[in-house]
Amino acid sequence: MTSLIRNPLTIVWALLTTVTIASSWIALEGGASHRINTTVTTAVLLIAAVKAHLVIRHFMEVRHAPVWLKATTSGWVLALFALLLGFYFASL
Amino acid sequence: MAEAPKALTASAEQTTSRPKNRKLDQWIAFWTVPFFFNVFGLVFVPLSWMMPPRSPSSPTRHIVDFMHSHNLLVACVILTLAYGLAPVSNACYLMQVKRMSVSPAFRYSMMIGAITGAIVGMLFPMFCFGLGAFRAGYSPSVLTMLYDFGYLAFIGSLGCFCVMWMAFGLAIILDENKILPKWLGYYTIWQYVTELMAAPVWIAKSGPFAWNGLMTFWFAMTLYVSWQFIVYLCIYGAIKSQPEAELDNAPLEPHPAALETTSRTTA
Amino acid sequence: MTDVAEGSATGVDQSQRAAGARGHVPGESSMWFFVIGDFLIFGVYFVGYMYFRGQNHELFLSSQARLNLDIGAINTVVLLTSSLFVALGTAAARAGNTADALRRFWTALAFGAAFPLLKMFEWIPEISAGLTPGTNLFFMYYYVMTGIHLCHVLLGLVIMCFVIRNLKAPGTPKISFVETGATYWHMVDVLWLVLFALLYLMR
Repeated sequence: MTSLIRNPLTIVWALLTTVTIASSWIALEGGASHRINTTVTTAVLLIAAVKAHLVIRHFMEVRHAPVWLKATTSGWVLALFALLLGFYFASL
Repeated sequence: MAEAPKALTASAEQTTSRPKNRKLDQWIAFWTVPFFFNVFGLVFVPLSWMMPPRSPSSPTRHIVDFMHSHNLLVACVILTLAYGLAPVSNACYLMQVKRMSVSPAFRYSMMIGAITGAIVGMLFPMFCFGLGAFRAGYSPSVLTMLYDFGYLAFIGSLGCFCVMWMAFGLAIILDENKILPKWLGYYTIWQYVTELMAAPVWIAKSGPFAWNGLMTFWFAMTLYVSWQFIVYLCIYGAIKSQPEAELDNAPLEPHPAALETTSRTTA
Repeated sequence: MTDVAEGSATGVDQSQRAAGARGHVPGESSMWFFVIGDFLIFGVYFVGYMYFRGQNHELFLSSQARLNLDIGAINTVVLLTSSLFVALGTAAARAGNTADALRRFWTALAFGAAFPLLKMFEWIPEISAGLTPGTNLFFMYYYVMTGIHLCHVLLGLVIMCFVIRNLKAPGTPKISFVETGATYWHMVDVLWLVLFALLYLMR
């Protein structure tokens, strides 16, 4: 049981769950008024990017994958969130 | 192509005549596909401007003009004549699916899916636009209904094609004979997804989810058309590399003595 | 097609390190083709959503207020937990601990099955309240994106059942198949992480 808790995967999961709760809290508190809020948006999107990257690297084992797979997946995360933030800020 | 009955007698004469192209049937079916799609493309786009789809929220005046247009009439005539090639192009795919190690249920699902899909997705629109083009005198509200019917049938007919693409995709993924590459199977699953993506056309009359929308038409078409090209190239490879002995119309193994006697008496 | 790492019997972590030694592509590469492609397809939806949102912030903001953020957050944790057990199960299978692997995959399946259930608790009240795909563009994007994602989840649950079946069968399980199924499931998780931020959290 303890080996399970100390397993790197479980530690990653604990981190993911914590930031999920944190970003939910940010949206609930900071975004309660349901008005445009660049701080909340930037924070939750960056957190989502980090979460996605963690799942890909650790759960999907891309950390141990050949370079081309690492580059493609990281490239997707980077490009996607760059575009998302880009379109968001461009529209304000 | 009824080459099989002649096979037994012909094989004895084959030493002097040209070798039979036993894949002729498949190649003919194969080449109908670009012919068919090009005719379709010409008819739908520059001829009648039916495609890209017109707006679902067009004013009645525009709809009536479109339905009575001369070009639409010509397009419908060509469509009525060329429609019969649809089954032939599907036959091309099915002949290769038959070689796969998966259950026949897959190719039967594909077949029925293609049949029902062609009826709903091609015949119905043809009738709707044909009625507008060939029959004068319908009221504007009837023409508007036919216009909606035609476009919705063409783009919103998901169910039949969902079954077809899912069956085709799964067949490729599960096939152990490696007739078509596995990644193509996954690409075909996206064909299925494009059908799901098109579902909102029933609801939205404007914007990115209407039948002429960015998400439901343009994006779905990018996936759909690219798949058509790619599957076509893969089928070409599959037909080319199919061993002759495996063909359905390959000659049966003749008993040497029996064949000699038969060919001499019946030839 | 892929290198199947031979894990030692002593601990899950060692098999993970062993997997790393050779630049290992988990599962079949054709599944990775699907994963990357699906990432790109959903990517177009995500960016499209952000673009159209930019044209009507008010509409999107007021519509977002009607969503059930609590269930959204719970579902996020549910999927993350399910993914954890899939990853742990995969590592156990690779290390040869089929019994452990089976237990973990059953757990993963249980958490995974909770997702569509919770989703119904989310959608049914919303639809009853008159919030349908036809309500406005935000809700169209919401139902279409979460709907296509839900289809992916259901397919993933079916795949997981086949993985469990493979693990239960006598003899050594096909590790490549387990990894392939796991890869699909994690993809479904990643897509939800983005959806959660875009639909429920951002302002």
